[in-house]
Amino acid sequence: MPEGKYCFRRPLQTEEDILHLLSDTRGTNYYKEMEELEVDTADLKKRLDATCKSRIRTWLDICARCGLCADSCFLYRVNDRAPEQVPSYKVQTTLGEIVRKDGNVDTKFMLHAMEVCWSRCTCCSRCAQYCPHGIDMGQMISYTRGLLYSQGFVPWELKIGSGMHRVYRAQMDVTEEDWVETCEWMAEENEEEYPGLTIPVDVEDADIMYTCNAREPKHYPEDVAEAAILFHIAGENWTVPSNGWEQTALCMFAGDWEACKMQVQNVYDAIERLRPKRVVGTECGHAHRASVIEGPYWCGRPDGKPPAPYIHYVEWVAEALRTGKLKIDPAKRIKEPVTLQDSCNYVRNYGLAEVTREIISYIVEPGYFVEMAPNKEYNYCCGGGGGFNGVGRYRAQRNKALKTKRDQILATGCKLVIAPCHNCWDAIRDLEEEFEIGIRWTFLKPLLIKMVEIPEHLRPEQEEE
Amino acid sequence: MYEFLAGPMLWVTFTVFIVGCIWRVVRYVRGLSWQLDRVAYRPHFALGAKYALKSILFWLVPFGSRSWREKPGMTVLFFAFHIGIVFVPLFLEAHAVIARQRLGIAWPSMPAGLADGLTVAMLVAGVGLVIRRLALPEVRIITTGYDYLLLAITMAPFITGLICRLGGGEGWLLAHLITGHLMLLAIPFTKLSHMVLYFCSRAQLGMDFGIKRGGERGRGLVW
Repeated sequence: MPEGKYCFRRPLQTEEDILHLLSDTRGTNYYKEMEELEVDTADLKKRLDATCKSRIRTWLDICARCGLCADSCFLYRVNDRAPEQVPSYKVQTTLGEIVRKDGNVDTKFMLHAMEVCWSRCTCCSRCAQYCPHGIDMGQMISYTRGLLYSQGFVPWELKIGSGMHRVYRAQMDVTEEDWVETCEWMAEENEEEYPGLTIPVDVEDADIMYTCNAREPKHYPEDVAEAAILFHIAGENWTVPSNGWEQTALCMFAGDWEACKMQVQNVYDAIERLRPKRVVGTECGHAHRASVIEGPYWCGRPDGKPPAPYIHYVEWVAEALRTGKLKIDPAKRIKEPVTLQDSCNYVRNYGLAEVTREIISYIVEPGYFVEMAPNKEYNYCCGGGGGFNGVGRYRAQRNKALKTKRDQILATGCKLVIAPCHNCWDAIRDLEEEFEIGIRWTFLKPLLIKMVEIPEHLRPEQEEE
Repeated sequence: MYEFLAGPMLWVTFTVFIVGCIWRVVRYVRGLSWQLDRVAYRPHFALGAKYALKSILFWLVPFGSRSWREKPGMTVLFFAFHIGIVFVPLFLEAHAVIARQRLGIAWPSMPAGLADGLTVAMLVAGVGLVIRRLALPEVRIITTGYDYLLLAITMAPFITGLICRLGGGEGWLLAHLITGHLMLLAIPFTKLSHMVLYFCSRAQLGMDFGIKRGGERGRGLVW
């Protein structure tokens, strides 16, 4: 069977497409049809010729097969050091084979490659730091995902997620109206406590344009409210775009590069329309990677930069604390052992390790912060990165992967984990659900709101009595 | 035969070796693409170059990178092997003599005792690398016949050379010349091309981390 009713090569382009695939609960038929999905080897070869150039080919060729990458991989370690989990092995038996066979691979191979690319690698790129030749296996698995996606071999949830970006320019079905209404609702909801609080939509030439993760308006609107409250307290001149507010890109996890470009270009268009001095993104790792680190390249920007300076939420928080825009009430600082989760996407792969620690120095009473081991650039993935959290088919593998973070947290002895990344936050929530180690986990926003001093002129009337 | 291998064939081998290596580097650099690699090489060249150097140098120093420090045994094997393979052929007294007599080049050389020590260390390390490949499951699974072949190609000139030094006859000298030519000729055409591509690949990753993954913030490739 060339292509099925649910499983096919073309991307999801319309709302009907998405609803149709969603109707196939847990992708049962989708995966069944995938077992028969033929590989368009001519197209695969064409794609290789066009996109697999000297960087990747050299990486594949000169790999010394030394195995120094093995211990760098948390999935290798957590899976009882199974040799099949060695990063080099994972790359050589997937992308390596495709390249050596010049695209002449069959369905069975592609199914295997899909399993490797989405359940044995989170594209955290920790291995890149351990390879003597500087081979970045995370990048290669990500590239392989793109090849697999183009042939229709992609986990069901990510095919849908990618379709969502194509149809709604958001990872979930949040329309422009939904978003603007949520902003209005959240401003109203908190107006009493914070007089004058607004969520200004589409203000031109503001100092800050804020972008977020569609899950926030959809499932945790209070996160949007918290962002607004903190900007309000800090006295920022800020805005959100009515369109182009969604910063994430599940399509990046899916390897759907065309959708990645559509998604990020939408944000850049908003930047160009509203001309903010700079953009602040939410507490999300992959969103930062998509919009700030990789996005400029997807959109063909030769300087590798977004249209305006685009910073991660932790950078804004650190700056606000440093400059005194946000002042912490010393009595309310955290006075219990607390640890910090370093997100791979903006720490290892963007260099913000010291920025989050600067924040810690303001909000945690000295002596209570405990580092995980290893940490900073060498920290392990939360266990759910690269789309791993969202794929039902690989839930068992994901849950096993969570043990790494569980043990790292247990070793700190802390009951509180600060996780300024949606994906890490989810993984840590899930590991608590799975292993019940009695921890709490939090974003920065709710923590800050609890401990920040509210300037007199912003307090509600009754408090002034 | 000896006359040919230590004479005209030297020119052929050196030409193929040098031109081949240059060709590998040129092909590598020409195949880079700012958009496919997603690294703005040109607009941020100075920053990229700084990190390219950082990326290369820390791995050339024993225990310079975190990876080397975490695997001290492998680090010792690796450096013993590579120091021998690079410096002995380059600065062996006997080679300097040939360079002077046959090619008319004045070439420096190292004391014979040092060369002997480095050769033995290199061969012991080579055997260690083979044992490591066989003993460690995480290395065994990715090892192929090709990897052993390359070890054989690189160790052969050293084994034969050492036997010559210990008084082996004409035959061993011939064997040494043949294996030496073979190794040099193999470099541009096999994975041994990492002799030059190591620098390319490390520089590329250095530029990647320098330009877009932390260099601007003073992080990126923290060893």
